[in-house]
Amino acid sequence: MPGYMGKVLWVDLGKQQFREEEIPEDIYQDFLSGMGLAAHLLYEHIPPGADPLGPDNVLGFVSGLLTGTPSLFSGRWLAVGKSPLTNTWGDANCGGYFSFAIKKCGYDGIFFTGQSEQPVYLSVDPGGSQLLEAEDLWGSDATEAENTLLERHGAQRMPGVICIGPAGEKQSLIAGISHDFGRMAARSGLGAVMGSKNLKAVVLAGAQPVSVADSQQMKALCQKPARITRFRIPLSARMMALAGKLLRNPWIKLRWDGILFSGVLRKWGTVGLNQTSIEWGDAPIKNWAGTHQDFPLEASKQIAPDAISKLEQKKYHCLACPLGCGGKIKGLGENQVTKKPEYETTLAFTGLVLNEDYSLVIEVNDLLNRAGMDTISAGATVAAAIEWYQDGLLTREDTGELELTWGNPDAILALVKAMIAREGIGDVLADGSKRAAERLNIKDRQAAITAGGSELAFHDTRLDPGFGLHAGVEPAPGRHTSGAFIYYNLYRLWTRIKHLPKPPLITSKKKHFIPSKEIIRRAVAISKFTNYYNTLGICLFGIYIGVDRLPLFEWTNAATGWSRSPEDYLTVGHRIQTLRQLFNIKQGVNPVDIKISRRALGIPPQESGPNQGNQIDYPALRRMYWEQIGWDPETGYPTQETLKALGLEHRLSGLEEEYGV
Amino acid sequence: MAYNITDNCRGCRACVRPCPTQAISGERHEVHIIDPQRCIECGTCGRICPYEAILTPQGSLAQRVKKMNWPKPVVDQKTCVSCGLCVTICPVSCFELEFIQEKSAARGFPILARPNDCIACIFCADICPVEAITMRARNKA
Repeated sequence: MPGYMGKVLWVDLGKQQFREEEIPEDIYQDFLSGMGLAAHLLYEHIPPGADPLGPDNVLGFVSGLLTGTPSLFSGRWLAVGKSPLTNTWGDANCGGYFSFAIKKCGYDGIFFTGQSEQPVYLSVDPGGSQLLEAEDLWGSDATEAENTLLERHGAQRMPGVICIGPAGEKQSLIAGISHDFGRMAARSGLGAVMGSKNLKAVVLAGAQPVSVADSQQMKALCQKPARITRFRIPLSARMMALAGKLLRNPWIKLRWDGILFSGVLRKWGTVGLNQTSIEWGDAPIKNWAGTHQDFPLEASKQIAPDAISKLEQKKYHCLACPLGCGGKIKGLGENQVTKKPEYETTLAFTGLVLNEDYSLVIEVNDLLNRAGMDTISAGATVAAAIEWYQDGLLTREDTGELELTWGNPDAILALVKAMIAREGIGDVLADGSKRAAERLNIKDRQAAITAGGSELAFHDTRLDPGFGLHAGVEPAPGRHTSGAFIYYNLYRLWTRIKHLPKPPLITSKKKHFIPSKEIIRRAVAISKFTNYYNTLGICLFGIYIGVDRLPLFEWTNAATGWSRSPEDYLTVGHRIQTLRQLFNIKQGVNPVDIKISRRALGIPPQESGPNQGNQIDYPALRRMYWEQIGWDPETGYPTQETLKALGLEHRLSGLEEEYGV
Repeated sequence: MAYNITDNCRGCRACVRPCPTQAISGERHEVHIIDPQRCIECGTCGRICPYEAILTPQGSLAQRVKKMNWPKPVVDQKTCVSCGLCVTICPVSCFELEFIQEKSAARGFPILARPNDCIACIFCADICPVEAITMRARNKA
């Protein structure tokens, strides 16, 4: 099998049974691996209306087609299932080295059905698969559990371990799945699905290498991206902040070259953009109601890239990554080393809640990683709670005497601990801000900044409305990684796909807010491409340098021995996107009902700051997106012509009523 | 695809213990077998067998190589991009990361921490995307 392993493992947790399924060649042709394989299997195996926390949901872990081959940035894996947070298609992307661990066991994916009566974990090694008792691990945090399992299964052999912490066990709807001490498949609440199945962990200790059609060609293709990612950026942290100020201008946007971002990531990691984003208007401040003026450079000095670099001890590279944007930093305790908080976590617990104390970020990051809780959703929910408290919608009695004022690190820390323990107000907030508003009977929902119930990450939709569009139209709503207008500039698809336009070097900022066929054409291309690269196990930060420098299409052909065109691979992406949309429809989700918080759409628009006056005409953008991707512009249902063109017409079985056929 | 054992096998068990996936079984002095599900085609059995009883997946006879002449990986740290593919693919986990201080933090580079465990499978050199690993036999070093 070139590039892929040709089979998946099914684990029935209720019956404690294992089944290997060989995947036919034509499925790989149509869907590749990773996200595509998952879309094919989950669509077929999750019955309509399945309870995400019930036995009918399927929880899967998939590798990528390029993982374990001589390629770069190819170490990502996905957790997939029906999301209990949004009731839609759910997926969560993560790095580390677990992706290769799946393939080394001879599989492209491992899928769990049913529910175990007792806590268990799955162990796979060359001797076979076993479900082992996890009573002793239940209740331990993700770090303790991973340490125990590594010791038990031979740490030196580097088995790939993933596990849930107490958040997943308690079925917090914003729980994630942890790997390699704090790498997190965080989004979609899939940690709660794992908890509902009584599955504490997965330990993979295979040794199978991956064969490819043309290894030498793959290596030759690695030379260019390896050279480019060594590029050292001659910028200081002060210049990064200044760049943010310059970018704040209300008139023009530049077509960025991702080599710059790549250099920032190599030097500082994602935190390299902390102050740039705040100054630029990319990082939402004070729960999306403030501006950089509420969190000036003086307030953000502790999260300046160089300030964090001083604490950093080791760089962390995910598998196959030449950049190494992760890191280990000095923790708060003596001799303690902890995972470096990423940009999203840092901004969630600083600018978003007006906290200036970086030690809070380090502590909360460690607590949430150990608990196995998504820092994006947790941070956004804390920010919503603070706003409710400030507006008198939550009382001191409700919060258990916590003084939830802006920028109060002690109260934020106590609240996060309560969310992890599901105690008092924390129990309500542990299911995210939308559910919390419902349970607390808060009628004014504007403080819960979500799309389809999933908290938005910290890239302001009022600066790049593409973040808003994709957060709403993607089958897994609320993501910042699935698309944005800026990604079109970075991915440089026009260098490989001739019919796609090269954007001008300078464009008017206001133009991005006027729905046009042209910007939607780019958005649709991004959606298709994102689904394609998620079949490969490729990292978003790799693609930042563009497809003419990171040769994904060429690697796919060299790995598989195929000679397919980039356009053909985008059709694969289109097929996957459409099948995931069909998954939602099959699950009873009405695409029209996936709403984005008004504040994130600029309703009403901000009165000052870099994004002043910006408003997103989301209904118009969505309508045009649906139309151009071949879905009904009114309903969001993929049209029958589109299904036919993508070879998906036979998937309509069970949807005859919805489709009137 | 997997390696195979022929009737030349004398059941000496020389290949059993070094096999990194415990794929070889059989009674002493009897012909052994390789479990194709477990075999990862590392070729260790063929390099070790004193009786020329191992066939490669392509059907040719595997050549015995004295262990002292097994080539070992040498990493060129200037070319290495710290991607960790070699560390992760090694079926006997003989690499470790050596952290070298850069301007701010330290970056990990693979070193052959347990050379005696190396089985000369060449998986590390085969997967290295930037050709930073060369296999060198001791007497040619």
